[in-house]
Amino acid sequence: MQRKTEKLVPSGSQTGFDKFRKSLRTQRELWIISIPIILWVLLFAYYPMYGILMAFFDYTPGKEIFQCPFVGLKHFKSFLTNPAIWQLLRNTLAMSALSLTIGFIAPIIFALLLNEVGHLKIKKLVQTVSYLPHFISWVVTGSMVYMMLSSEGILNGMLLGLGLTDKAIPFLTQGSYYWTIYIIVNVWKGIGWSSIIYLSSISGVDDELYQAGAIDGLGRWGMAMHITLPSIAPTILILWILGIGGILNAGFDYHLIIGNSATQAYWDVIDTYTYRYGVQQGYYSMSTAVSLMKSVIGFALVVLTNWISKKTTDMSILY
Amino acid sequence: MRKVAYIKRSTGGMVFDILNGVFITIFTILVVYPFLNILAISFNDGIDAVRGGIYLWPRKFSLLNYEYVFSNRDLLRGAGVSVLRVVVGTVTGVLGSALLGYIVSVRNFYGRKFMRVLFLITMYFGGGLIPTYLLMLRLGFMNSFAVYWVPSIFSAFYMLLASSYIQNLPEALFESARIDGSSEMRIFFQIVVPLSIPMLACIAVYIGVGQWNSWFDVSLYSKDGKWDNLQIILYRLLNQATALQKMMEQQRVAEKMKTLQPQTVRAATTIVVVLPVIFIYPFFQKYFVSGITIGAVKG
Repeated sequence: MQRKTEKLVPSGSQTGFDKFRKSLRTQRELWIISIPIILWVLLFAYYPMYGILMAFFDYTPGKEIFQCPFVGLKHFKSFLTNPAIWQLLRNTLAMSALSLTIGFIAPIIFALLLNEVGHLKIKKLVQTVSYLPHFISWVVTGSMVYMMLSSEGILNGMLLGLGLTDKAIPFLTQGSYYWTIYIIVNVWKGIGWSSIIYLSSISGVDDELYQAGAIDGLGRWGMAMHITLPSIAPTILILWILGIGGILNAGFDYHLIIGNSATQAYWDVIDTYTYRYGVQQGYYSMSTAVSLMKSVIGFALVVLTNWISKKTTDMSILY
Repeated sequence: MRKVAYIKRSTGGMVFDILNGVFITIFTILVVYPFLNILAISFNDGIDAVRGGIYLWPRKFSLLNYEYVFSNRDLLRGAGVSVLRVVVGTVTGVLGSALLGYIVSVRNFYGRKFMRVLFLITMYFGGGLIPTYLLMLRLGFMNSFAVYWVPSIFSAFYMLLASSYIQNLPEALFESARIDGSSEMRIFFQIVVPLSIPMLACIAVYIGVGQWNSWFDVSLYSKDGKWDNLQIILYRLLNQATALQKMMEQQRVAEKMKTLQPQTVRAATTIVVVLPVIFIYPFFQKYFVSGITIGAVKG
């Protein structure tokens, strides 16, 4: 390549390689700063990507991946034919479905309602308070959930006090409550933060639209439905497409903190499975195969949803 | 907000305003209430609290829980680790991202595009849990403090945040400094850093809160407990109390303070863990929001 360009380019002008060599000389300082950064990213970001290859080998730690026996798709097959997969898929999809519906719509409704609050100071205050839970760690959130829902917690105290139940309800140890509590806690934690993006796109709506709407006799409901909502529709769509990509992410920290052995049949999702088998029990290759499959499906879903959205609404997040 | 001016007042609108006001009020109470409840329980006498029914105010006031928390060696050590983590992680993370952001914004630097792409790829692709975990084991990061800050010095997201800010600084400043023979590091520390304080503060708040709140990496890499932070101690307090039916905690505490109960100790620990975040929150919340808007535009 190099020689060819040298022939084609008349002497005097520079090829890319010459420019590079010159820059090594003249911009030596910048390169010297860059080299450790490049080494860092190769080690901490690209080396783990290479490590994904262990999904196709029977990897044992301490050896190089290529020294281990190549097994092809064995780990993928063994996971896909494992009967445990059905429970994992059920839990993952159930909780994702809740997040993509209730968890997705709640911040939109909240943003629309907060937008109707006339008092600017109150609006600001409520907004500030609403995203406080986003900055609280999962462990603290878990501690609050225990305080509220354990058998001697507040909720049971209230129910017993009001005589609505004569025995404490085991909210945290009975699997049938698990998904409901999961979505409530996630909405509590995320609603304010997710609404910021909607509120900022609502504030960007052209004022003239509302003036025109008023002249045409739209009331507040009409303006919200015919002006505000359509204006934030592209934002909603983009976030939904991205949300579809995460359909196989159905919480992780939450389950490790709130989940327990009594409710495991309801919280064990793909990520917790990978963690348990990979880190805790040392099935590194199998675990890596499962998370690789998960990422590939997530990526494919984003591309697919994006394609559908492009066909139907002419909006796209990818190029 | 603005559009209210164009709208006729109607009874329907008034009813809506009232209902909406009620809804927003209930919502705000629901967000704040868990914090207030835990605060009340943390100031209550342990045995009394087991009876339940403490909603907003302690029934039998006691400082014993906090006395226990602040005299417990594990918790104090954990607090030290948490603070150290935040300080080291934030300083290195902010300087690292800002330096990287500066390098990819030097207009005629030949490697600029290469560096940018090299990092952008990491935003969309990663090795995942197991390969990363094995790398840390291989580097000997198990049971070390380095694992908390070395893998997070540079980040593609903060690089974008920093470079979009630095690109808006007047180029002439850097050019004249270079002509005067100043080194790139000197330009970075004496021109870029002082001019980018708002952006640096924004990144610092994000990294700092993230470092304070981390617990999962601690559970992975702090096996001998030497580098346990506050979050992981609270995590164990939660899980022990439920799994072991509070046995261990109670016995350890019994000789010292008779009325202590796991529930109230947990509440006091939770307050200690969450207080720093709530305390800095009012001061930094504008940076939180500016971060998400820049992120939204770029991402």
